Amino acid sequence: MGDSMTKANASAAPQQAGLHARSNAALNEPRIAVRGLDFFYGSNKALKNLDFDLPERQVTGMIGPSGCGKSTLLRVLNRMYSLYPGQRATGQVLMDGQNILDDSTDINALRSRIGMVFQKPTPFPMTIYENIAFGIRLHEKLSKSQMDERVEWALTRAAIWGEVKDRLNSSAMGLSGGQQQRLCIARTIAVRPEVILLDEPTSALDPISTLRIEELIDELKRDFTIAIVTHNMQQAARCADQVAFFYLGELVEVAPAEQMFTAPKQKRTQEYITGRFG
Amino acid sequence: MSATTLHPASGPAKDLRVAAALGRRRRATTTVIKVACYAATAIGLLLLLSILGTLVWNGGSAISLRVFTDVTKPPGSDGGLLNPIIGSLIQTSIGTLIGTPIGLLVGTYLAEYAKSSPLANAVRFVSDILLSAPSILIGLFVYQSLVVPMGGFSGWAGCAALAIIVIPVVVRTTEDMLRLLPDTLREAVIALGAPKWKMITLVCWRAAASGIVTGVLLAVARVAGETAPLLFTSLGNLNWSLSLGAPMSSLPITIYSYAGSPYPDWIALAWAGALIITLGVLGLNIVARSLLRGRK
Repeated sequence: MGDSMTKANASAAPQQAGLHARSNAALNEPRIAVRGLDFFYGSNKALKNLDFDLPERQVTGMIGPSGCGKSTLLRVLNRMYSLYPGQRATGQVLMDGQNILDDSTDINALRSRIGMVFQKPTPFPMTIYENIAFGIRLHEKLSKSQMDERVEWALTRAAIWGEVKDRLNSSAMGLSGGQQQRLCIARTIAVRPEVILLDEPTSALDPISTLRIEELIDELKRDFTIAIVTHNMQQAARCADQVAFFYLGELVEVAPAEQMFTAPKQKRTQEYITGRFG
Repeated sequence: MSATTLHPASGPAKDLRVAAALGRRRRATTTVIKVACYAATAIGLLLLLSILGTLVWNGGSAISLRVFTDVTKPPGSDGGLLNPIIGSLIQTSIGTLIGTPIGLLVGTYLAEYAKSSPLANAVRFVSDILLSAPSILIGLFVYQSLVVPMGGFSGWAGCAALAIIVIPVVVRTTEDMLRLLPDTLREAVIALGAPKWKMITLVCWRAAASGIVTGVLLAVARVAGETAPLLFTSLGNLNWSLSLGAPMSSLPITIYSYAGSPYPDWIALAWAGALIITLGVLGLNIVARSLLRGRK
Protein backbone atom coordinates (compact mmCIF):
# COMPACT_ATOMS: atom_id res chain seq x y z
CA MET A 1 0.00 0.00 0.00
CA GLY A 2 2.72 2.47 1.01
CA ASP A 3 4.62 1.52 -2.10
CA SER A 4 1.78 2.26 -4.46
CA MET A 5 1.17 5.52 -2.61
CA THR A 6 4.64 6.82 -3.48
CA LYS A 7 4.21 5.66 -7.05
CA ALA A 8 0.96 7.57 -7.22
CA ASN A 9 2.58 10.77 -6.01
CA ALA A 10 5.58 10.38 -8.24
CA SER A 11 3.46 10.02 -11.34
CA ALA A 12 1.27 13.05 -10.74
CA ALA A 13 3.74 15.53 -12.21
CA PRO A 14 4.39 13.83 -15.59
CA GLN A 15 0.63 13.40 -15.96
CA GLN A 16 0.06 17.15 -15.92
CA ALA A 17 3.04 17.79 -18.15
CA GLY A 18 1.58 15.25 -20.57
CA LEU A 19 -1.71 17.09 -20.73
CA HIS A 20 0.04 20.30 -21.57
CA ALA A 21 2.27 18.85 -24.24
CA ARG A 22 -0.60 16.99 -25.84
CA SER A 23 -3.11 19.78 -26.06
CA ASN A 24 -1.30 21.66 -28.80
CA ALA A 25 -0.84 18.60 -30.98
CA ALA A 26 -3.24 18.29 -33.88
CA LEU A 27 -5.71 15.40 -33.89
CA ASN A 28 -4.84 12.42 -36.04
CA GLU A 29 -6.80 10.93 -38.94
CA PRO A 30 -9.99 9.19 -37.82
CA ARG A 31 -9.74 5.45 -37.12
CA ILE A 32 -13.49 5.23 -36.85
CA ALA A 33 -15.84 7.75 -38.44
CA VAL A 34 -19.46 7.95 -37.34
CA ARG A 35 -21.79 9.56 -39.88
CA GLY A 36 -25.47 10.35 -39.42
CA LEU A 37 -25.92 7.76 -36.67
CA ASP A 38 -29.35 7.29 -35.12
CA PHE A 39 -29.96 4.74 -32.40
CA PHE A 40 -33.19 3.37 -31.02
CA TYR A 41 -34.17 1.48 -27.88
CA GLY A 42 -37.46 0.19 -29.21
CA SER A 43 -39.19 3.36 -30.37
CA ASN A 44 -37.13 5.61 -28.11
CA LYS A 45 -34.49 7.50 -30.06
CA ALA A 46 -31.35 7.57 -27.93
CA LEU A 47 -28.81 8.97 -30.40
CA LYS A 48 -29.71 11.69 -32.85
CA ASN A 49 -27.86 12.11 -36.12
CA LEU A 50 -24.32 11.88 -34.74
CA ASP A 51 -21.23 12.79 -36.70
CA PHE A 52 -18.13 11.90 -34.78
CA ASP A 53 -14.53 10.76 -35.27
CA LEU A 54 -12.21 8.66 -33.17
CA PRO A 55 -8.73 9.90 -34.11
CA GLU A 56 -6.17 7.16 -34.65
CA ARG A 57 -3.97 6.33 -31.67
CA GLN A 58 -5.39 9.05 -29.50
CA VAL A 59 -7.74 9.07 -26.57
CA THR A 60 -11.25 10.38 -27.00
CA GLY A 61 -13.04 11.25 -23.77
CA MET A 62 -16.82 11.09 -23.84
CA ILE A 63 -18.61 13.12 -21.20
CA GLY A 64 -22.16 14.11 -20.43
CA PRO A 65 -24.86 13.55 -17.83
CA SER A 66 -26.32 10.06 -17.25
CA GLY A 67 -28.59 8.96 -20.06
CA CYS A 68 -27.02 11.30 -22.61
CA GLY A 69 -26.07 8.44 -24.93
CA LYS A 70 -22.31 8.19 -24.47
CA SER A 71 -22.37 4.55 -23.32
CA THR A 72 -24.92 3.81 -26.03
CA LEU A 73 -22.50 5.14 -28.62
CA LEU A 74 -19.73 2.87 -27.28
CA ARG A 75 -22.07 -0.11 -27.54
CA VAL A 76 -22.81 0.79 -31.15
CA LEU A 77 -19.11 0.86 -32.03
CA ASN A 78 -18.60 -2.84 -31.19
CA ARG A 79 -22.16 -3.84 -32.12
CA MET A 80 -22.85 -4.90 -28.53
CA TYR A 81 -26.41 -3.66 -29.00
CA SER A 82 -27.00 -6.47 -31.51
CA LEU A 83 -27.38 -8.81 -28.53
CA TYR A 84 -30.69 -7.18 -27.70
CA PRO A 85 -33.53 -7.57 -30.19
CA GLY A 86 -35.27 -4.25 -29.44
CA GLN A 87 -32.20 -2.14 -30.19
CA ARG A 88 -31.17 -0.88 -33.62
CA ALA A 89 -28.87 1.63 -35.23
CA THR A 90 -29.10 3.41 -38.57
CA GLY A 91 -26.52 5.53 -40.34
CA GLN A 92 -22.86 4.76 -40.82
CA VAL A 93 -19.98 3.75 -38.61
CA LEU A 94 -17.00 3.56 -40.93
CA MET A 95 -13.84 1.64 -40.20
CA ASP A 96 -11.46 1.18 -43.15
CA GLY A 97 -14.24 2.37 -45.43
CA GLN A 98 -16.54 -0.41 -44.26
CA ASN A 99 -19.85 0.35 -42.56
CA ILE A 100 -19.79 -1.90 -39.50
CA LEU A 101 -23.54 -1.52 -39.07
CA ASP A 102 -24.07 -3.58 -42.25
CA ASP A 103 -25.70 -6.94 -41.71
CA SER A 104 -22.83 -8.52 -43.64
CA THR A 105 -20.30 -7.51 -40.96
CA ASP A 106 -18.64 -10.45 -39.23
CA ILE A 107 -19.49 -9.32 -35.71
CA ASN A 108 -17.06 -11.64 -33.93
CA ALA A 109 -14.17 -10.52 -36.13
CA LEU A 110 -15.23 -6.90 -35.60
CA ARG A 111 -15.15 -7.37 -31.84
CA SER A 112 -11.66 -8.78 -32.06
CA ARG A 113 -10.65 -5.47 -33.68
CA ILE A 114 -12.65 -3.29 -31.28
CA GLY A 115 -12.23 -4.41 -27.69
CA MET A 116 -14.24 -3.24 -24.70
CA VAL A 117 -13.67 -2.87 -20.97
CA PHE A 118 -16.62 -2.43 -18.68
CA GLN A 119 -17.49 -0.37 -15.65
CA LYS A 120 -17.33 -3.27 -13.25
CA PRO A 121 -14.39 -5.65 -13.54
CA THR A 122 -15.60 -8.85 -15.21
CA PRO A 123 -13.02 -11.57 -14.56
CA PHE A 124 -14.08 -14.98 -15.88
CA PRO A 125 -14.33 -17.82 -13.35
CA MET A 126 -11.01 -19.37 -14.32
CA THR A 127 -7.32 -18.86 -13.70
CA ILE A 128 -5.52 -15.62 -14.47
CA TYR A 129 -3.69 -17.30 -17.35
CA GLU A 130 -6.90 -18.78 -18.76
CA ASN A 131 -8.62 -15.39 -18.57
CA ILE A 132 -6.05 -13.94 -20.95
CA ALA A 133 -5.74 -17.03 -23.14
CA PHE A 134 -9.52 -17.24 -23.55
CA GLY A 135 -9.82 -14.32 -25.94
CA ILE A 136 -6.70 -15.25 -27.89
CA ARG A 137 -7.94 -18.80 -28.49
CA LEU A 138 -11.14 -17.42 -30.01
CA HIS A 139 -9.23 -15.90 -32.91
CA GLU A 140 -5.81 -17.54 -33.16
CA LYS A 141 -4.15 -20.93 -32.88
CA LEU A 142 -0.95 -20.51 -30.92
CA SER A 143 1.55 -23.05 -29.63
CA LYS A 144 2.01 -23.33 -25.89
CA SER A 145 5.16 -21.21 -25.91
CA GLN A 146 3.63 -18.58 -28.20
CA MET A 147 0.61 -18.46 -25.91
CA ASP A 148 2.80 -18.05 -22.82
CA GLU A 149 4.60 -15.23 -24.56
CA ARG A 150 1.40 -13.49 -25.59
CA VAL A 151 -0.12 -13.82 -22.12
CA GLU A 152 3.00 -12.30 -20.58
CA TRP A 153 3.00 -9.52 -23.18
CA ALA A 154 -0.65 -8.64 -22.49
CA LEU A 155 -0.24 -8.70 -18.73
CA THR A 156 2.90 -6.58 -19.01
CA ARG A 157 1.18 -4.03 -21.25
CA ALA A 158 -1.64 -3.82 -18.73
CA ALA A 159 0.88 -3.16 -15.94
CA ILE A 160 -0.14 -6.17 -13.87
CA TRP A 161 2.47 -8.78 -14.84
CA GLY A 162 4.64 -8.14 -11.78
CA GLU A 163 1.72 -8.67 -9.43
CA VAL A 164 0.43 -11.89 -10.95
CA LYS A 165 3.41 -13.63 -12.56
CA ASP A 166 3.81 -15.97 -9.59
CA ARG A 167 0.15 -16.94 -9.47
CA LEU A 168 -0.95 -17.28 -13.07
CA ASN A 169 -2.67 -20.54 -12.22
CA SER A 170 -4.74 -19.24 -9.35
CA SER A 171 -8.27 -17.97 -9.81
CA ALA A 172 -8.75 -14.47 -11.17
CA MET A 173 -11.62 -14.00 -8.74
CA GLY A 174 -9.10 -13.63 -5.91
CA LEU A 175 -7.59 -10.42 -7.32
CA SER A 176 -8.48 -7.00 -5.94
CA GLY A 177 -10.91 -4.81 -7.88
CA GLY A 178 -8.15 -2.68 -9.39
CA GLN A 179 -6.14 -5.76 -10.37
CA GLN A 180 -9.24 -7.36 -11.87
CA GLN A 181 -9.82 -4.28 -14.01
CA ARG A 182 -6.23 -4.31 -15.28
CA LEU A 183 -6.65 -8.04 -15.94
CA CYS A 184 -9.71 -7.20 -18.05
CA ILE A 185 -7.68 -4.61 -19.95
CA ALA A 186 -4.95 -7.22 -20.47
CA ARG A 187 -7.57 -9.68 -21.71
CA THR A 188 -8.81 -7.09 -24.18
CA ILE A 189 -5.40 -6.14 -25.56
CA ALA A 190 -4.31 -9.79 -25.71
CA VAL A 191 -6.60 -10.14 -28.72
CA ARG A 192 -4.60 -7.25 -30.26
CA PRO A 193 -7.50 -5.00 -31.19
CA GLU A 194 -7.05 -1.70 -32.99
CA VAL A 195 -9.58 0.19 -30.91
CA ILE A 196 -10.30 -0.09 -27.18
CA LEU A 197 -13.59 1.13 -25.74
CA LEU A 198 -13.56 1.89 -22.03
CA ASP A 199 -16.96 2.30 -20.39
CA GLU A 200 -16.34 4.16 -17.11
CA PRO A 201 -13.44 1.82 -16.39
CA THR A 202 -12.51 3.38 -13.06
CA SER A 203 -15.87 4.27 -11.53
CA ALA A 204 -15.84 1.14 -9.33
CA LEU A 205 -12.20 1.61 -8.27
CA ASP A 206 -10.35 3.45 -5.52
CA PRO A 207 -8.26 6.54 -6.37
CA ILE A 208 -4.94 4.71 -6.56
CA SER A 209 -6.24 1.98 -8.84
CA THR A 210 -7.86 4.74 -10.90
CA LEU A 211 -4.54 6.48 -11.27
CA ARG A 212 -2.84 3.30 -12.40
CA ILE A 213 -5.51 2.74 -15.05
CA GLU A 214 -5.14 6.32 -16.24
CA GLU A 215 -1.37 5.91 -16.55
CA LEU A 216 -2.04 2.73 -18.44
CA ILE A 217 -4.39 4.49 -20.87
CA ASP A 218 -1.68 7.04 -21.54
CA GLU A 219 0.76 4.26 -22.28
CA LEU A 220 -1.64 2.22 -24.43
CA LYS A 221 -2.53 5.01 -26.83
CA ARG A 222 0.85 4.62 -28.51
CA ASP A 223 -0.59 1.49 -30.10
CA PHE A 224 -4.34 1.66 -29.74
CA THR A 225 -7.14 4.05 -30.56
CA ILE A 226 -9.04 4.60 -27.33
CA ALA A 227 -12.50 5.88 -26.44
CA ILE A 228 -13.29 6.38 -22.78
CA VAL A 229 -16.66 7.21 -21.27
CA THR A 230 -16.31 8.97 -17.95
CA HIS A 231 -18.31 10.95 -15.45
CA ASN A 232 -15.15 12.43 -14.08
CA MET A 233 -14.22 15.71 -15.72
CA GLN A 234 -10.70 15.62 -14.29
CA GLN A 235 -10.23 12.16 -15.73
CA ALA A 236 -11.29 13.37 -19.16
CA ALA A 237 -8.89 16.30 -18.83
CA ARG A 238 -6.04 14.03 -17.69
CA CYS A 239 -6.47 11.24 -20.24
CA ALA A 240 -8.06 12.57 -23.38
CA ASP A 241 -6.65 14.23 -26.47
CA GLN A 242 -10.12 14.96 -27.73
CA VAL A 243 -13.26 15.38 -25.65
CA ALA A 244 -16.85 15.02 -26.80
CA PHE A 245 -19.79 16.34 -24.81
CA PHE A 246 -23.12 14.60 -25.25
CA TYR A 247 -26.49 15.78 -24.07
CA LEU A 248 -29.89 14.14 -24.58
CA GLY A 249 -28.61 11.93 -27.38
CA GLU A 250 -26.90 14.73 -29.27
CA LEU A 251 -23.25 15.53 -29.70
CA VAL A 252 -23.14 19.09 -28.41
CA GLU A 253 -19.46 19.76 -28.90
CA VAL A 254 -16.26 17.95 -29.72
CA ALA A 255 -12.86 19.59 -29.42
CA PRO A 256 -9.25 19.00 -28.40
CA ALA A 257 -9.14 18.48 -24.63
CA GLU A 258 -7.55 21.74 -23.63
CA GLN A 259 -9.85 23.84 -25.75
CA MET A 260 -12.85 21.91 -24.40
CA PHE A 261 -11.97 22.62 -20.80
CA THR A 262 -10.65 26.17 -21.19
CA ALA A 263 -12.72 27.66 -23.97
CA PRO A 264 -15.80 25.58 -24.82
CA LYS A 265 -17.83 27.06 -27.64
CA GLN A 266 -21.25 25.96 -26.47
CA LYS A 267 -22.99 27.40 -23.44
CA ARG A 268 -24.32 23.96 -22.41
CA THR A 269 -20.82 22.49 -22.48
CA GLN A 270 -19.54 25.24 -20.25
CA GLU A 271 -22.43 24.78 -17.82
CA TYR A 272 -21.81 21.05 -17.65
CA ILE A 273 -18.07 21.12 -17.16
CA THR A 274 -18.34 23.79 -14.51
CA GLY A 275 -20.87 21.61 -12.67
CA ARG A 276 -23.91 23.79 -13.16
CA PHE A 277 -26.08 20.85 -14.26
CA GLY A 278 -25.88 17.13 -14.95
CA MET B 1 -32.01 23.23 18.04
CA SER B 2 -33.11 20.14 19.94
CA ALA B 3 -36.26 21.87 21.13
CA THR B 4 -37.39 22.62 17.60
CA THR B 5 -36.76 19.07 16.41
CA LEU B 6 -38.64 17.47 19.31
CA HIS B 7 -41.63 19.82 19.21
CA PRO B 8 -42.08 21.14 15.72
CA ALA B 9 -44.15 24.26 15.93
CA SER B 10 -46.44 23.16 13.11
CA GLY B 11 -47.56 19.71 14.38
CA PRO B 12 -49.78 18.75 17.36
CA ALA B 13 -47.96 17.69 20.53
CA LYS B 14 -47.40 13.96 21.08
CA ASP B 15 -49.59 12.30 23.76
CA LEU B 16 -47.08 10.38 25.84
CA ARG B 17 -49.70 8.16 27.52
CA VAL B 18 -51.04 6.95 24.17
CA ALA B 19 -47.49 6.29 23.02
CA ALA B 20 -46.75 4.24 26.14
CA ALA B 21 -49.94 2.18 25.76
CA LEU B 22 -49.12 1.48 22.10
CA GLY B 23 -45.63 0.47 23.15
CA ARG B 24 -46.99 -2.04 25.69
CA ARG B 25 -49.27 -3.55 23.08
CA ARG B 26 -46.41 -3.82 20.63
CA ARG B 27 -44.26 -5.63 23.17
CA ALA B 28 -47.10 -8.03 24.06
CA THR B 29 -47.68 -8.84 20.38
CA THR B 30 -43.98 -9.43 19.95
CA THR B 31 -43.99 -11.92 22.82
CA VAL B 32 -47.03 -13.81 21.52
CA ILE B 33 -45.62 -14.09 17.99
CA LYS B 34 -42.24 -15.12 19.31
CA VAL B 35 -43.69 -17.88 21.50
CA ALA B 36 -45.82 -19.14 18.59
CA CYS B 37 -42.76 -19.29 16.31
CA TYR B 38 -40.68 -21.13 18.88
CA ALA B 39 -43.51 -23.60 19.56
CA ALA B 40 -43.99 -24.35 15.86
CA THR B 41 -40.27 -24.85 15.40
CA ALA B 42 -40.14 -27.15 18.40
CA ILE B 43 -43.00 -29.29 17.07
CA GLY B 44 -41.31 -29.58 13.68
CA LEU B 45 -37.96 -30.47 15.18
CA LEU B 46 -39.49 -32.98 17.60
CA LEU B 47 -41.28 -34.79 14.77
CA LEU B 48 -38.13 -34.89 12.69
CA LEU B 49 -35.99 -36.06 15.58
CA SER B 50 -38.48 -38.77 16.56
CA ILE B 51 -38.54 -40.04 12.96
CA LEU B 52 -34.75 -40.02 12.75
CA GLY B 53 -34.45 -41.47 16.26
CA THR B 54 -36.81 -44.36 15.54
CA LEU B 55 -35.05 -44.97 12.26
CA VAL B 56 -31.57 -45.01 13.78
CA TRP B 57 -32.77 -47.13 16.71
CA ASN B 58 -34.51 -49.79 14.64
CA GLY B 59 -32.34 -49.56 11.55
CA GLY B 60 -29.07 -49.38 13.45
CA SER B 61 -29.77 -52.60 15.31
CA ALA B 62 -30.69 -54.36 12.04
CA ILE B 63 -27.64 -53.21 10.07
CA SER B 64 -24.76 -55.60 9.74
CA LEU B 65 -22.21 -56.49 7.10
CA ARG B 66 -24.60 -59.18 5.86
CA VAL B 67 -27.05 -56.48 4.74
CA PHE B 68 -24.50 -55.24 2.22
CA THR B 69 -23.10 -58.61 1.10
CA ASP B 70 -26.09 -60.94 0.84
CA VAL B 71 -28.94 -60.84 -1.63
CA THR B 72 -32.57 -60.91 -0.59
CA LYS B 73 -33.65 -64.37 0.56
CA PRO B 74 -36.88 -65.97 1.75
CA PRO B 75 -37.91 -65.07 5.29
CA GLY B 76 -35.97 -66.82 8.02
CA SER B 77 -32.87 -67.52 5.94
CA ASP B 78 -30.61 -64.56 6.81
CA GLY B 79 -30.89 -62.53 3.62
CA GLY B 80 -29.38 -59.12 2.93
CA LEU B 81 -30.14 -56.13 0.72
CA LEU B 82 -27.36 -56.38 -1.84
CA ASN B 83 -29.62 -56.55 -4.90
CA PRO B 84 -31.88 -53.65 -3.83
CA ILE B 85 -28.84 -51.51 -3.00
CA ILE B 86 -27.15 -52.23 -6.34
CA GLY B 87 -30.47 -51.90 -8.19
CA SER B 88 -31.09 -48.50 -6.62
CA LEU B 89 -27.56 -47.36 -7.43
CA ILE B 90 -27.91 -48.46 -11.06
CA GLN B 91 -31.35 -46.95 -11.64
CA THR B 92 -30.54 -43.71 -9.82
CA SER B 93 -27.26 -43.31 -11.73
CA ILE B 94 -28.70 -44.02 -15.15
CA GLY B 95 -31.80 -41.93 -14.45
CA THR B 96 -29.56 -39.03 -13.43
CA LEU B 97 -27.26 -39.51 -16.41
CA ILE B 98 -30.22 -39.35 -18.78
CA GLY B 99 -32.12 -36.58 -17.00
CA THR B 100 -29.23 -34.21 -16.25
CA PRO B 101 -28.12 -33.33 -19.80
CA ILE B 102 -31.73 -32.83 -20.89
CA GLY B 103 -32.47 -30.66 -17.86
CA LEU B 104 -29.22 -28.72 -18.30
CA LEU B 105 -29.98 -27.94 -21.94
CA VAL B 106 -33.60 -26.99 -21.27
CA GLY B 107 -32.53 -24.73 -18.36
CA THR B 108 -29.88 -23.16 -20.59
CA TYR B 109 -32.43 -22.64 -23.34
CA LEU B 110 -34.75 -20.87 -20.90
CA ALA B 111 -32.08 -18.66 -19.34
CA GLU B 112 -29.89 -17.84 -22.34
CA TYR B 113 -32.04 -18.09 -25.44
CA ALA B 114 -35.78 -17.98 -24.88
CA LYS B 115 -35.79 -15.68 -21.81
CA SER B 116 -39.41 -14.48 -21.53
CA SER B 117 -40.82 -15.49 -24.89
CA PRO B 118 -44.23 -17.22 -24.89
CA LEU B 119 -42.60 -20.57 -25.65
CA ALA B 120 -40.21 -20.13 -22.71
CA ASN B 121 -43.09 -19.34 -20.38
CA ALA B 122 -44.94 -22.43 -21.58
CA VAL B 123 -41.86 -24.63 -21.07
CA ARG B 124 -41.28 -23.11 -17.64
CA PHE B 125 -44.92 -23.74 -16.70
CA VAL B 126 -44.83 -27.37 -17.84
CA SER B 127 -41.54 -27.93 -16.06
CA ASP B 128 -42.92 -26.50 -12.83
CA ILE B 129 -45.98 -28.74 -13.08
CA LEU B 130 -43.73 -31.73 -13.68
CA LEU B 131 -41.70 -30.71 -10.63
CA SER B 132 -44.73 -31.00 -8.39
CA ALA B 133 -46.60 -33.78 -10.20
CA PRO B 134 -47.36 -36.83 -8.03
CA SER B 135 -44.58 -39.26 -8.88
CA ILE B 136 -47.03 -42.15 -9.23
CA LEU B 137 -48.38 -40.41 -12.33
CA ILE B 138 -44.91 -40.47 -13.83
CA GLY B 139 -44.74 -44.18 -13.03
CA LEU B 140 -48.06 -44.77 -14.76
CA PHE B 141 -46.97 -42.70 -17.75
CA VAL B 142 -43.82 -44.78 -18.21
CA TYR B 143 -45.88 -47.94 -17.68
CA GLN B 144 -48.11 -46.94 -20.59
CA SER B 145 -45.35 -45.64 -22.85
CA LEU B 146 -42.54 -48.14 -22.15
CA VAL B 147 -43.58 -51.12 -20.05
CA VAL B 148 -46.65 -52.08 -22.10
CA PRO B 149 -44.98 -51.71 -25.54
CA MET B 150 -41.83 -53.52 -24.32
CA GLY B 151 -43.96 -56.34 -22.98
CA GLY B 152 -42.83 -56.28 -19.35
CA PHE B 153 -41.34 -54.50 -16.36
CA SER B 154 -37.67 -53.58 -16.73
CA GLY B 155 -34.80 -51.69 -15.18
CA TRP B 156 -34.80 -49.39 -18.21
CA ALA B 157 -38.36 -48.36 -17.50
CA GLY B 158 -37.37 -47.57 -13.91
CA CYS B 159 -34.44 -45.47 -15.15
CA ALA B 160 -36.74 -43.60 -17.53
CA ALA B 161 -39.23 -42.80 -14.78
CA LEU B 162 -36.46 -41.49 -12.51
CA ALA B 163 -34.99 -39.46 -15.40
CA ILE B 164 -38.34 -37.75 -15.89
CA ILE B 165 -38.28 -36.74 -12.23
CA VAL B 166 -34.69 -35.48 -12.49
CA ILE B 167 -35.35 -33.25 -15.52
CA PRO B 168 -37.52 -30.50 -13.97
CA VAL B 169 -35.29 -30.23 -10.88
CA VAL B 170 -32.22 -29.68 -13.06
CA VAL B 171 -34.12 -27.33 -15.40
CA ARG B 172 -35.10 -25.11 -12.50
CA THR B 173 -31.71 -24.94 -10.80
CA THR B 174 -29.86 -24.47 -14.10
CA GLU B 175 -32.11 -21.61 -15.11
CA ASP B 176 -31.97 -20.00 -11.67
CA MET B 177 -28.20 -20.25 -11.44
CA LEU B 178 -27.64 -18.90 -14.95
CA ARG B 179 -29.98 -16.01 -14.27
CA LEU B 180 -27.95 -15.05 -11.22
CA LEU B 181 -24.98 -14.29 -13.46
CA PRO B 182 -24.66 -10.59 -14.27
CA ASP B 183 -25.24 -9.60 -17.89
CA THR B 184 -21.94 -7.73 -17.82
CA LEU B 185 -20.18 -11.09 -17.60
CA ARG B 186 -21.95 -12.22 -20.77
CA GLU B 187 -21.20 -8.94 -22.51
CA ALA B 188 -17.55 -9.22 -21.50
CA VAL B 189 -17.30 -12.59 -23.24
CA ILE B 190 -19.17 -11.34 -26.30
CA ALA B 191 -16.96 -8.22 -26.42
CA LEU B 192 -13.93 -10.45 -26.98
CA GLY B 193 -15.55 -11.71 -30.15
CA ALA B 194 -16.85 -15.01 -28.77
CA PRO B 195 -19.88 -16.67 -30.35
CA LYS B 196 -22.80 -17.19 -28.01
CA TRP B 197 -22.40 -20.95 -27.66
CA LYS B 198 -18.83 -20.48 -26.45
CA MET B 199 -20.00 -17.83 -24.01
CA ILE B 200 -22.48 -20.32 -22.57
CA THR B 201 -20.37 -23.46 -22.49
CA LEU B 202 -17.00 -21.97 -21.55
CA VAL B 203 -17.99 -19.16 -19.19
CA CYS B 204 -21.63 -19.21 -18.07
CA TRP B 205 -21.76 -22.92 -17.28
CA ARG B 206 -18.48 -22.66 -15.47
CA ALA B 207 -19.58 -19.64 -13.46
CA ALA B 208 -22.79 -21.41 -12.48
CA ALA B 209 -21.21 -24.85 -12.08
CA SER B 210 -21.39 -25.27 -8.32
CA GLY B 211 -25.04 -24.22 -8.28
CA ILE B 212 -25.92 -26.58 -11.11
CA VAL B 213 -24.05 -29.47 -9.48
CA THR B 214 -25.96 -28.75 -6.28
CA GLY B 215 -29.22 -29.01 -8.20
CA VAL B 216 -28.17 -32.32 -9.70
CA LEU B 217 -27.23 -33.69 -6.27
CA LEU B 218 -30.59 -32.62 -4.86
CA ALA B 219 -32.27 -34.35 -7.80
CA VAL B 220 -30.28 -37.52 -7.08
CA ALA B 221 -31.30 -37.32 -3.43
CA ARG B 222 -34.90 -36.99 -4.48
CA VAL B 223 -35.03 -39.91 -6.93
CA ALA B 224 -33.00 -42.20 -4.67
CA GLY B 225 -35.97 -42.36 -2.32
CA GLU B 226 -38.74 -42.54 -4.92
CA THR B 227 -40.98 -45.59 -4.66
CA ALA B 228 -44.12 -44.84 -6.65
CA PRO B 229 -42.53 -44.36 -10.08
CA LEU B 230 -40.71 -47.69 -9.72
CA LEU B 231 -43.80 -49.69 -8.73
CA PHE B 232 -45.10 -49.72 -12.31
CA THR B 233 -41.78 -49.72 -14.09
CA SER B 234 -38.92 -51.76 -12.64
CA LEU B 235 -41.34 -53.53 -10.25
CA GLY B 236 -38.71 -55.00 -7.95
CA ASN B 237 -36.90 -58.29 -8.11
CA LEU B 238 -36.16 -60.64 -5.23
CA ASN B 239 -33.51 -62.46 -7.22
CA TRP B 240 -30.02 -61.26 -8.07
CA SER B 241 -30.20 -59.55 -11.48
CA LEU B 242 -28.13 -56.88 -13.13
CA SER B 243 -30.07 -56.99 -16.38
CA LEU B 244 -31.74 -53.70 -17.22
CA GLY B 245 -34.08 -55.60 -19.53
CA ALA B 246 -35.59 -57.51 -16.60
CA PRO B 247 -37.45 -56.31 -13.50
CA MET B 248 -34.93 -54.73 -11.16
CA SER B 249 -34.78 -54.51 -7.41
CA SER B 250 -34.57 -51.19 -5.58
CA LEU B 251 -34.37 -50.10 -1.96
CA PRO B 252 -37.63 -48.14 -1.73
CA ILE B 253 -39.66 -50.97 -3.28
CA THR B 254 -37.99 -53.56 -1.04
CA ILE B 255 -38.67 -51.44 2.02
CA TYR B 256 -42.27 -51.12 0.89
CA SER B 257 -42.81 -54.85 0.48
CA TYR B 258 -40.68 -56.00 3.45
CA ALA B 259 -42.16 -53.51 5.90
CA GLY B 260 -45.63 -54.81 5.07
CA SER B 261 -44.65 -58.46 5.52
CA PRO B 262 -45.40 -60.50 8.66
CA TYR B 263 -41.78 -61.74 9.06
CA PRO B 264 -39.67 -60.06 11.78
CA ASP B 265 -36.35 -60.51 9.91
CA TRP B 266 -37.79 -58.89 6.76
CA ILE B 267 -39.17 -56.02 8.82
CA ALA B 268 -35.74 -55.54 10.39
CA LEU B 269 -34.19 -55.48 6.91
CA ALA B 270 -36.75 -52.84 5.86
CA TRP B 271 -35.57 -50.68 8.77
CA ALA B 272 -31.96 -51.21 7.72
CA GLY B 273 -32.79 -50.24 4.12
CA ALA B 274 -34.64 -47.12 5.28
CA LEU B 275 -31.64 -46.07 7.34
CA ILE B 276 -29.28 -46.62 4.40
CA ILE B 277 -31.39 -44.45 2.08
CA THR B 278 -31.82 -41.74 4.68
CA LEU B 279 -28.10 -41.55 5.40
CA GLY B 280 -27.34 -41.51 1.67
CA VAL B 281 -29.78 -38.69 1.00
CA LEU B 282 -28.58 -36.80 4.07
CA GLY B 283 -24.99 -37.14 2.88
CA LEU B 284 -25.87 -35.87 -0.60
CA ASN B 285 -27.71 -32.91 0.89
CA ILE B 286 -24.75 -32.02 3.06
CA VAL B 287 -22.40 -32.20 0.07
CA ALA B 288 -24.82 -30.10 -2.00
CA ARG B 289 -25.13 -27.46 0.69
CA SER B 290 -21.42 -27.18 1.30
CA LEU B 291 -20.90 -26.79 -2.46
CA LEU B 292 -23.43 -23.97 -2.53
CA ARG B 293 -21.78 -22.30 0.44
CA GLY B 294 -18.37 -22.63 -1.18
CA ARG B 295 -19.70 -20.67 -4.14
CA LYS B 296 -20.23 -17.48 -2.15
